[in-house]
Amino acid sequence: MNRALPEMLPCSDMTVLQRQRARLKWQAEQFQQQSYFCELSGVFTSQNVHVQGFQQGGLVSGGGDSVLSNMEMTRQLKPDPGLEAAWPELGKVDMGFGSCGYGNGPSFDMNHAISRTSSCPPAVAAAAVEVKGNSEKMGSAVGRESFKKRKVEKLQNSKVVAEDESKRIKASEEEEEESKITGPNTNKITNHKKENSGDTSKDNSKVSEVQKPDYIHVRARRGQATDSHSLAERVRREKISERMKYLQDLVPGCNKITGKAGMLDEIINYVQSLQRQVEFLSMKLATVNPRLDFNIDNLYAKEEFPSCTTNFPTVGMAPEMANHSPYLQFNPIQQVVSGCGVEMGMNSSDMALRRTISAPVSIPDASFLNTTCFTGPQQQIQPSAPWEVELQNLYNVAFTDTIDASDLKMEM
Amino acid sequence: MEGCMKERKRVYPMEPWKIMQPSFAAKYVGYLVPALTNIGKRASPSVDRCIDTEKIVRYEIDMALALSAEGFAWSHALKHKLRPNVDNHNHAGKSQSYLAHDDDHRNTMPVNHEPATKKLKVDTKRSETEAAEEERLTYLRKLIPGGSGEMMVDDEILLIELGSYVSCLELQVNVLRSMLQFN
Repeated sequence: MNRALPEMLPCSDMTVLQRQRARLKWQAEQFQQQSYFCELSGVFTSQNVHVQGFQQGGLVSGGGDSVLSNMEMTRQLKPDPGLEAAWPELGKVDMGFGSCGYGNGPSFDMNHAISRTSSCPPAVAAAAVEVKGNSEKMGSAVGRESFKKRKVEKLQNSKVVAEDESKRIKASEEEEEESKITGPNTNKITNHKKENSGDTSKDNSKVSEVQKPDYIHVRARRGQATDSHSLAERVRREKISERMKYLQDLVPGCNKITGKAGMLDEIINYVQSLQRQVEFLSMKLATVNPRLDFNIDNLYAKEEFPSCTTNFPTVGMAPEMANHSPYLQFNPIQQVVSGCGVEMGMNSSDMALRRTISAPVSIPDASFLNTTCFTGPQQQIQPSAPWEVELQNLYNVAFTDTIDASDLKMEM
Repeated sequence: MEGCMKERKRVYPMEPWKIMQPSFAAKYVGYLVPALTNIGKRASPSVDRCIDTEKIVRYEIDMALALSAEGFAWSHALKHKLRPNVDNHNHAGKSQSYLAHDDDHRNTMPVNHEPATKKLKVDTKRSETEAAEEERLTYLRKLIPGGSGEMMVDDEILLIELGSYVSCLELQVNVLRSMLQFN
């Protein structure tokens, strides 16, 4: 253990979790040695970095983020029987394994002790490098999130794993034999597992992603195909589904839609509708523009939008009230308006805004406001009346949508 | 270690969007209002002006969007589409070409949004669904600025960019609507 630990620390940090893991690994090691050696030999043929990364629970020699690197330890519970197919090198490196392999052995997570590291084979390593390139694009915060999840799971899994170990060792050993083409000892099991692995790798696979610069460690579940391509594919698919879920929250009315295609449809529709709205509004703005006198009060009003988009009719009204006395008779804002007076300086507008913002305005009120604004006293809005009604319709129709969107945004 | 970090591709995570959101509206208005005011101040009350004004306004609106949402591939692409690194940009000219480009995108929208009815039934259901998804993703690429570019070849990145793009569009619509409302 002594010699392994220093090896396990090429980089600086070794978190408590990693130490715990190391301890657990060591405990499991005795059971695992055989499988470890076989696995690790394969690992060892791949980049050294790779193995060390595994050791650390993700301290990649590339450096990376030690926090995130922990994520590479997966929640794998079961061995991946299909993995044997991807271990052609198993036979070669056994002897080369030696102390290094041993050192690497304990580095393997408890979970992984049982299951095969799917990313171990060089082929997978190559794919992993590719995938890594893609995974880098995931925010580190996202990585950290999943890391926390996996941390918990990992510790839980380790116990389960320990129980199953003895059973699976034998099976895994036999499977390894299979891969070496020495003839399967248990045809049934291996055939069954191979059958499963032959299945589309679409099924659930537990994948741990590490937001490291170098590679991604991927664990495949029992019965899943473990060749590099399907693994990388699986990782990619999981990421994509994660993104789709985020988009589902973003696009209103997508909660009930389950298919990816349907979701994409909704997204397409939504983006198109938003773009159309922008186009329409820009046309309107262009027609109104020559007569407009943009003033700084409007600027202030809009500045408040992110915090109170649901209130923006009111917010918009307040500075307007301040500056244009004809609008004074809008009821919901009268307390604000009366406070504002007719001639408003910047500060008063601000105050009005803040008061307005603090007073919650419900959507019906906003609609009412809108109605009174545009259909009430006609004389005040004469200059812009022709297009205001149109705008009001657009506004009313779209407002509820916007409110949802705003709510979503505010939740963000 | 630092070398590896530098070699990383540009990252477009979701998180910065949450940080950016509050300042989006401020930036947007901050850019757009003066720009529109400048347009208003320009002379020449010719008839052609109306069309040009529309285009210019549209240009400014899109530019405001691109500038208010820094750090995304789509905003980068949009900015370059609007202002392809030319020092003296003729607004009308650029906006014209931009709009033409945009209209093409809009017009190529497939009306049929049903799941791949015209596609042949292939071996596995999965392939069919994948094809349908691919079709939609391709279409989405056309919608989002820079979607067909090199930065968004990867589907994941496309979806990430979509998230931020949709949010920014929503904010933009809100801001524009309120600007119109007040005037």
